[in-house]
Amino acid sequence: MTKPTCEDALVVKKRDLNNDYFSLVLAPFSGAKSIKPGQFVHIRLPSTDIYFRRAFSVASVNPAKKEVEIIFKVFGRGTKILGKMRKGDSLDLLGPLGVPFSFPLKNENAVIVAGGVGFPPLMFLAEKMIEKGHNPKLIEFFYGGRSRLELVELSRLRKMGIKLHLSTDDGSAGNKGHVTGPVEQYLKKNLKEKMKLFGCGPERMLKAVDELGLKYNVKGQLALEALMPCGVGICLGCVVHLKAGGYARVCCDGPVFEIGVVNIAS
Amino acid sequence: MPPDLKCKIAGVEFANPIMTASGCAGYGEELAQIYPLSNLGALVTKSISLKVRPGHPPPRTVETPGGMLNAIGLANVGIDRFLSEKVPFLKKQKTKVIVNVAGSTIDEYVEVCSRLNDCSCADMIELNISCPNVNEGGIEFGTSPQLTEKTVAASRKVFKRPIIAKLAPNVTSITEIADAAEQGGADALSIINSVIGTAVDINSWQPLLSNVNGGLTGPAIKPIALAMVASVYRKCKLPIIGIGGITDYKDVIEFLLYGATAVQVGTALFVDPSIPLKIVKGLKKYLKEKKLKSVTELIGKVRR
Repeated sequence: MTKPTCEDALVVKKRDLNNDYFSLVLAPFSGAKSIKPGQFVHIRLPSTDIYFRRAFSVASVNPAKKEVEIIFKVFGRGTKILGKMRKGDSLDLLGPLGVPFSFPLKNENAVIVAGGVGFPPLMFLAEKMIEKGHNPKLIEFFYGGRSRLELVELSRLRKMGIKLHLSTDDGSAGNKGHVTGPVEQYLKKNLKEKMKLFGCGPERMLKAVDELGLKYNVKGQLALEALMPCGVGICLGCVVHLKAGGYARVCCDGPVFEIGVVNIAS
Repeated sequence: MPPDLKCKIAGVEFANPIMTASGCAGYGEELAQIYPLSNLGALVTKSISLKVRPGHPPPRTVETPGGMLNAIGLANVGIDRFLSEKVPFLKKQKTKVIVNVAGSTIDEYVEVCSRLNDCSCADMIELNISCPNVNEGGIEFGTSPQLTEKTVAASRKVFKRPIIAKLAPNVTSITEIADAAEQGGADALSIINSVIGTAVDINSWQPLLSNVNGGLTGPAIKPIALAMVASVYRKCKLPIIGIGGITDYKDVIEFLLYGATAVQVGTALFVDPSIPLKIVKGLKKYLKEKKLKSVTELIGKVRR
């Protein structure tokens, strides 16, 4: 584990991505250079009635400028406050925290499954893979949401040159239905030995991806989300059930787990 | 000369009065990756029981106004693995180690304490007779004066170094329990453990903790803890370690003024693992400003 840094950073850029989705770029954060895809920053909110930090997986970094980008949807009390932050506001960041994704081998097909607010760490993963020389044509990025409005940063994803497959529950963009339907069709047709599966999204989607990985015998990793009081492994508050029995801490045994390991609730 | 932060409890000297509260720092490994544990007065370990305890199923924690509810369920590696896996690490740390002990029967307390007596790494033990969220023990011992005295006395027979009894706030008279612990042979008291509480989801109508009840901690309980420290300090001679919602150096000073010799920081570590370092810095500055030579000059000095 890289030693986490705890320091204040400023909001240097804020983008409204529509439908309550926001992107905040925070800098300077000296931990930025060591953040890997799948890892998160634990953010303390400038509020007296919210006690705990909130964990956000990182969407991108700019090591030279010590910038960290997070993308979130306003959902509860914490994100509501974050959504109101303005350029120049200060936030207390702790990170990088957690186990990152393992990069697939260069010749491996990466099947990435993103559901709703789960897409930022996967976009970061795809970006870093390409940066490290992975052929973008080998990256199949399945991205699903409730409707067209729930799919954000599409032009950014398209620019990466990856194969983007969209799904929406209402059919307003891409395939109508759950994102995992087209993933299964893809696996059926294109199953290769050199293939890795990656997922991040709602629990029901993660469970389906986990089952697909096991059914088609494709290895890979899932990034989980949990309410984390501490984020560093000391409170034991964010545990999930393991299939082998016992518990694991999402914050430091994860949030990235191998497919088949966690008994995902749904 | 810089102000002296050293303090002494039952003959054991601490570099400063800031300890981690049990269950809030694991066995020290995670915090040691963030800063050297020598910055702490002492590391108090997670409760150690005779057997491994996996803990309660999730959800285990709920955020509440000014704090949290937890029902972790005394998840711990058990005494065997504690001695073989955690002690070698703890031995290398330049801080005092207080091992917190939990049991579901007096025999279990005795067995764990006697194993710890042979482990020089345990400078002191802290008896958890007050965990509010396990069914088969913990708090049952700490809510009865008779059982408190019996548990402490039985542990006293097998553990030869100082024993701290950690008291529950969920009692009618905490001073009665404090007296019982003293009668049993405790060398110090830590006051308080968490306050019993619960919370419900208004949509599913289900409790927000798998265990239903949990322990309330954090700033919300500080005034309760302070009042209990103050009442025990007035009636009981044993040194007190104050616990409950401590978040900054000002909270520490309040506890010391009401009679605590040292304090434990718990839930605040979850918000900022480096909080002990900031508290120590704040304490030094405060003592300097008040022209006090030693932190011990604050103990029990509340004016009434």
